[in-house]
Amino acid sequence: MSKLNASDIQGFSLRGYNLPFARFLFLHFTNAEKGRLLLTRLLPLITTGQLWDKKPDATLNIAFTHRGLVALELPLATLISFPPEFQLGMKARGTILGDVGLNAPDHWDKVWREDHVHVWLAINAQSPEALTTCFTQMQTLLEETGGATLLDFQDAGAIPIDGQFTTKEHFGYTDGFGNPDYLGVCRDTQPGQGKLMPGGTWAPLATGELLLGYADEAGELPVAPVPHLFASNGTFMVYRKLHENVGTFREFLNESGKRYGTGDDKTKEKLAAKIVGRWRDGTPVELSPDAPDAAIVNDPNRNVDFMFGQDLAGTRCPVGAHIRRTNPRDAFGFDGRLVHRRRISRRGLPYGPVAPPEDQPVDPRELDQADRGIVFMALNASLSRQFEFVQQQWISYGNDAHLGNEKDLLIGHHGEGERFGIQGDTTAANPPFFCSNLPNFVELRGGDYFFIPSITALGMLAMNLVDPR
Amino acid sequence: MSNINGKVYAMNVITPMKPSKTWILRLIFWVLGVWKPAQADLIQLKFIQFARWVIVPAGSFPYLGGRQRKDAMRYDYLFFFSNFNGTWNQYIDAFSAVLSDGLNKIWRWSEKFPGSVPVTPFKNYITSVQYDTDYYFSAYPQATVNDVEAAHLVNIAFESLCTTASSQTPEQFAQSYLQFVIASQSHLGATGEAPAVF
Amino acid sequence: MSSKSGNVYGLTLLCPIIDDPGAIPSHDLQIRAHLAKLSLGPDSPFAVAPGTHLARLVVLDDVIYVGAPSCEEHLNSKYLVFESNCDGDRDSYLTGLARKIPDALDAIWSHCVGYPDDGARNIPAFLQYMKRCEIETTFFFAPVNDKTRTQTLVALRNKAYIAHFIASHQGKPPAEIQRNIGALYARLKSLPDPEPAAIQVSRKMATGGRNE
Repeated sequence: MSKLNASDIQGFSLRGYNLPFARFLFLHFTNAEKGRLLLTRLLPLITTGQLWDKKPDATLNIAFTHRGLVALELPLATLISFPPEFQLGMKARGTILGDVGLNAPDHWDKVWREDHVHVWLAINAQSPEALTTCFTQMQTLLEETGGATLLDFQDAGAIPIDGQFTTKEHFGYTDGFGNPDYLGVCRDTQPGQGKLMPGGTWAPLATGELLLGYADEAGELPVAPVPHLFASNGTFMVYRKLHENVGTFREFLNESGKRYGTGDDKTKEKLAAKIVGRWRDGTPVELSPDAPDAAIVNDPNRNVDFMFGQDLAGTRCPVGAHIRRTNPRDAFGFDGRLVHRRRISRRGLPYGPVAPPEDQPVDPRELDQADRGIVFMALNASLSRQFEFVQQQWISYGNDAHLGNEKDLLIGHHGEGERFGIQGDTTAANPPFFCSNLPNFVELRGGDYFFIPSITALGMLAMNLVDPR
Repeated sequence: MSNINGKVYAMNVITPMKPSKTWILRLIFWVLGVWKPAQADLIQLKFIQFARWVIVPAGSFPYLGGRQRKDAMRYDYLFFFSNFNGTWNQYIDAFSAVLSDGLNKIWRWSEKFPGSVPVTPFKNYITSVQYDTDYYFSAYPQATVNDVEAAHLVNIAFESLCTTASSQTPEQFAQSYLQFVIASQSHLGATGEAPAVF
Repeated sequence: MSSKSGNVYGLTLLCPIIDDPGAIPSHDLQIRAHLAKLSLGPDSPFAVAPGTHLARLVVLDDVIYVGAPSCEEHLNSKYLVFESNCDGDRDSYLTGLARKIPDALDAIWSHCVGYPDDGARNIPAFLQYMKRCEIETTFFFAPVNDKTRTQTLVALRNKAYIAHFIASHQGKPPAEIQRNIGALYARLKSLPDPEPAAIQVSRKMATGGRNE
């Protein structure tokens, strides 16, 4: 395969930066000409995928909604060559994604309810000072060029515990596992990240599952807009602001934890583990169903290396557990080949104030109302085949897992009468357990679909050189 | 007038075949019919409720006389009717990913078949030879193959539990009931609305 | 060969449609219009009549030209395709239809060549006509095929009750569960058979392109 030119690909597309502070700016172009002037000024500041000797203080990346590309007056042939779901935008795909009821746009933040977002401009930084410096620089650029207005921005950042930044999110789960390996994308590969090969080894996924312009798992180049030069080395991002009802979640764990299994002080953690498929410390339940195991979590060669083929009944890791739904691995047979083209790369970060520790009594409703959650960002070459499919068929539905209409307990949007089942066995500590009256732990507060262009494509945008033929 | 009824999709595909090749396809279907392991992958895919292939030889379009003008075609025609669960894209992606050899064996005799890998030309071909359904009836549109299988499984376990229950002590029953729940536990998903078609 | 798989029969009919230039609209369009308005719910003729699991009707206008170097050819007649997955065998199934829904069958098939003048009520003639239109299924794949339609509907309905029972009796004492399960068992046995196609799922289409 062709070697990746990391200097042409935005760094955000290739890896998670692991920088603890972030601010996502949402811009609206004034007009095409001034917008391009702004892009010309931003271009040299955009962080590429080149490896660092030393981590920079701050990084900068940029992506566009379809209406943003329309505002830049790209040629019609290019605009209509984008996949339909990107052209429609995430709000219009609501019926497909199950963004109804509490997740419907009427509940979204103002910036997402209106259809003005053109640009996502992302600052990731080592420190609040570095973030502010970069932010001020951006504000200056906006003023000097008059290229765009700042509609809103979203702060996010790693949750610190005892002075150390963690990869935890607000429900207490250690997050950040399971991003796929792709061919040619240089990163620390871990067994279990890629696709399963016959014989039980793991290989990286085809590059074209992430980046446009490269062969994908179906043996062809993914559907991409024209011209090739504009699309190559680009990718699509889904951005979703997911509010977390921490109070409701803790209440649920406490209440149901008492009734689960032996009802002792350990069962609450076990219940939490069964819901997601990982203990809250990150130990995969499939590898260690009875207790968390720091030795496994801390070993990158073990913490994502597992399969479900020996656990089709779900007695170790429930069939409907979150990570089993989002990456069924070999659970559907065929050496996992039905899953290779449904993978996504996540880059999310928590946002909002850190919740008080669980042993402190706080009114759950107060906890729910605080503006905290996860900024979910996922990258894929095809929004409809990858993200949308998983969201619709595997999260909001359960047929492929033989679970009928059952949804993901953690992030599914639950209506009346829904149930979540945890499969068990005859041991007292691991019984079958069914949850009813499912609360909504996560609520969507907005988002959209973005195109993250290559550096070349950015240059073409800035210089108005996108020519579809 | 829709290809979709609830959770099931009616696909109709008709492709022309040179009559000189049809006998090979008949042989392949015969093998598929008598040698069960050849069907294993198809069964494991778990989203086909019913599917059939029908070869209509060139001279065999039904002729009922009267003012009907007889059809004597040059090509034999392969009719394919599938009743499957999931989306159109998912269905074809799955076949292309795991059953491409089998698909090729069946359709390579059809004119202009591009092969089942890679998937985009394959999807374009199917789009060009797919017919729309005028009326699609299902007695249980809220249920997929998996739902139906699950229902039968749970009912059998339930029947078995209940026929012995009355003669058991509560302690014995507790044991049987636990076994029953374990046997049913991954088959209890509710049926209902299908996800929005996209 | 194998139009039968387990207890399910795969019936395929190709019925030539009357070609009468004097008919306005033409007979194929009349069938189309009729089918477009025909109910898919419990009052659908195929729900009312016994035996049909899944069935479809397609008005086949013509074969499709796949492009050069293949030859272009055309059918002289249009055909009504009927694909049914049903209980029983061809004659018992069709007899069941003819007895229960003769008018509905006539409304569709009276547009076809050679259909008996007195319609489905003339059962021998009806069966004879259908036999002439039957195309042998070359390969029939029916992975779940050992239960009748009624058994399937009963099983689906029962499962919903059973699942609810299991969830709501979690943690209850065995004696209570034992008592209640006996009551549930009796209740399920006493319920009438569910109506076919009674649970109608709404059609949410949000298609954007290169799909469906």
